[in-house]
Amino acid sequence: MSSATKLQQRTAWWLTAPALFLMFVILLVPVIVAGVLSFTDYSLGNSSFEWVGAKNYDRLFSRSTYEKMFVATFTYVLTVVPISVGLGLGAALLINSLVRFRDLYKTIYFLPVMATLLAMAIAWEFMLHPSIGMVNRTLEMTCGTILEIIPFLANGCADQFPLWLGDRDYAIWVICFIGIWQGFGFNMVLYLAGLTSVHRELYHAAEMDGAKSGWERFRLVTWPALGPTTVFVVTISCIRAFQVFDTIEAFWPQGGGPNKSAYVMMFAIFEKGVQQNLIGIGSAITMLFLVFVMFLTLIQRWLVERKVHYG
Amino acid sequence: MSGLNLREVKKDFGGTPVLKGISLDIADGEFVSLVGPSGCGKSTLLRIIAGLEEQSSGHILIGDQDVSGVRAADRNLSMVFQSYALYPHLSVAENIAVPLKMRQMSAWQRLPLIGGLMPGARDKKAQIGQAVMSAAETLEIAALLDRKPGQLSGGQRQRVALGRALVREPAAFLLDEPLSNLDAKLRVQTRSEIAQLHRRLGATFIYVTHDQVEAMTMSDRIAVMMGGEILQCAPPHIVYDDPDDIRVAEFIGSPKINILPVESRGGAAILMDQRLPMALPLQDQSDLRMGLRPEALHLSSHPVLSGTVVHMENLGSEIFAQLQVPGLYDPVVFRADPSERARLAMGAEVGLGFEPTAALLFGADGRRLRIQQPASQPEVA
Repeated sequence: MSSATKLQQRTAWWLTAPALFLMFVILLVPVIVAGVLSFTDYSLGNSSFEWVGAKNYDRLFSRSTYEKMFVATFTYVLTVVPISVGLGLGAALLINSLVRFRDLYKTIYFLPVMATLLAMAIAWEFMLHPSIGMVNRTLEMTCGTILEIIPFLANGCADQFPLWLGDRDYAIWVICFIGIWQGFGFNMVLYLAGLTSVHRELYHAAEMDGAKSGWERFRLVTWPALGPTTVFVVTISCIRAFQVFDTIEAFWPQGGGPNKSAYVMMFAIFEKGVQQNLIGIGSAITMLFLVFVMFLTLIQRWLVERKVHYG
Repeated sequence: MSGLNLREVKKDFGGTPVLKGISLDIADGEFVSLVGPSGCGKSTLLRIIAGLEEQSSGHILIGDQDVSGVRAADRNLSMVFQSYALYPHLSVAENIAVPLKMRQMSAWQRLPLIGGLMPGARDKKAQIGQAVMSAAETLEIAALLDRKPGQLSGGQRQRVALGRALVREPAAFLLDEPLSNLDAKLRVQTRSEIAQLHRRLGATFIYVTHDQVEAMTMSDRIAVMMGGEILQCAPPHIVYDDPDDIRVAEFIGSPKINILPVESRGGAAILMDQRLPMALPLQDQSDLRMGLRPEALHLSSHPVLSGTVVHMENLGSEIFAQLQVPGLYDPVVFRADPSERARLAMGAEVGLGFEPTAALLFGADGRRLRIQQPASQPEVA
């Protein structure tokens, strides 16, 4: 190897060193530290800690609190992701077919994305208040009308309407609803961008080839062309769904919903790690969270390389 | 297979007329080119025939059946698009199979996974597979069937697009500038292949192009379109030798036809103050024009036109030279034989003559003036 090449190599290492250093310190070290701490009983302020082996992880998979955490998290992810992706796609297709008022609809659907979720959560809290909230007041108006044949309304009129945020059967679904309401506008914007890249002449080709219904054209042209967008939208939606926290913190600052029915992972990390200063168990949940997100990312990579067609 | 008739087809885009009443009869098995400069409405006309766009008025008949108002998918036509419009996620075989699948298989049979379990699906799939194979063999793309369009060259994509069009038997094939994305060499090759394909299939072809060479070499008839009208629709040699309109004469032919100002005075044609031995049974007019093809002009010792050679293009088998004639703005292009090269040099003073029968006369409005010249008329010396 000539000295010039050696010098060039050394310079290259020097030039990449700051980036490598920062990546190591800011991204990798915290993950490693969290990984190490998840095997200890460390609390912030303690001078020492004990190694507890896999006890923290063992707890995660044996205690009912954490079972509720997994149920709440996966209920949320499995509800919010498909519905917000589906609604996003539907809204994008509808808006794309419009001639006028496109921008108006885009703005309306995108508003919840721009709004601060914490402020929105407070507004929702007022609306869902069991006695003075707008939602139950509206439902009460149906009492005595023909609409009472709907069992839900009949039960509500006879007894009382749901407590919503105070009812363990409804709490997580309210959270899901708000998550969908808040998130699908973002997916819609991504899909609108994806739709602009669909070659118009392909629709004409599909028509000439005998694809008569809108559904056939969608299957033959639109859906395959949106493949890359869909992979991205689903991954982003999953990660955002795993990260849900603000609404739960705003509605139930202590405890994660009635009977812990909305005790999602992010809130658990916050409660254990920050509020109760149980760094060990908090780290263990964090590691698990990281595994889920990594898993999703790997699936995305696999899909992108294998199944999705670009170009 | 069937003939195709257009009756007074008009199209406006927001008040701007794009097609001003097109009438055209295309016989069964005929190859008709729609040729014209960009913006002349030829692609719009093709798309109206296809049913992808609706005419503002007029009728389209396919095999004596009025298809106005019938959607594209039901017109039984095949189209090859300029961009080929292949489905990027499907393999070549799947792309070619799409028109058959859409038309022959039910929606249930086309479903992924469970579609194959539907009654009759397997037989149909096998039939379609055979049809795809034979189309691929016709076009010599059988080796490419498993590839995706992204892995193909431009010429191969073009063949796949042709394959998708010819896999079923449509009433007519519509081709929208299918060669314009190919390089020059491939274009010449594919040109003759499409012409051969037409002869073999015996199907009706409507071919849109802005390239007059493509139109001349492939078609049974050429419809020259300009400004939303068909100026002339005739076999290539007639469009070339006997154009109806000065715009047709100028558009068809390369190098371009020479247009010279002519006057009619006292029953004779006057070209640049010279009396031509051509009888003009017309009133005195000063704004007539004469078209002379480069091959109609030849070097002459008693010239009608004389000037200086300003440019020469030697194509080997022939030479095109440009002559700057005093009093004319554009140089006059003429064809010379390579044996005459010695007499031609840049800056050389030469004279040109022509036979009066070869001259095409056009009126002030650009319409052709057909004047029977006596056969015994002596050559312009």
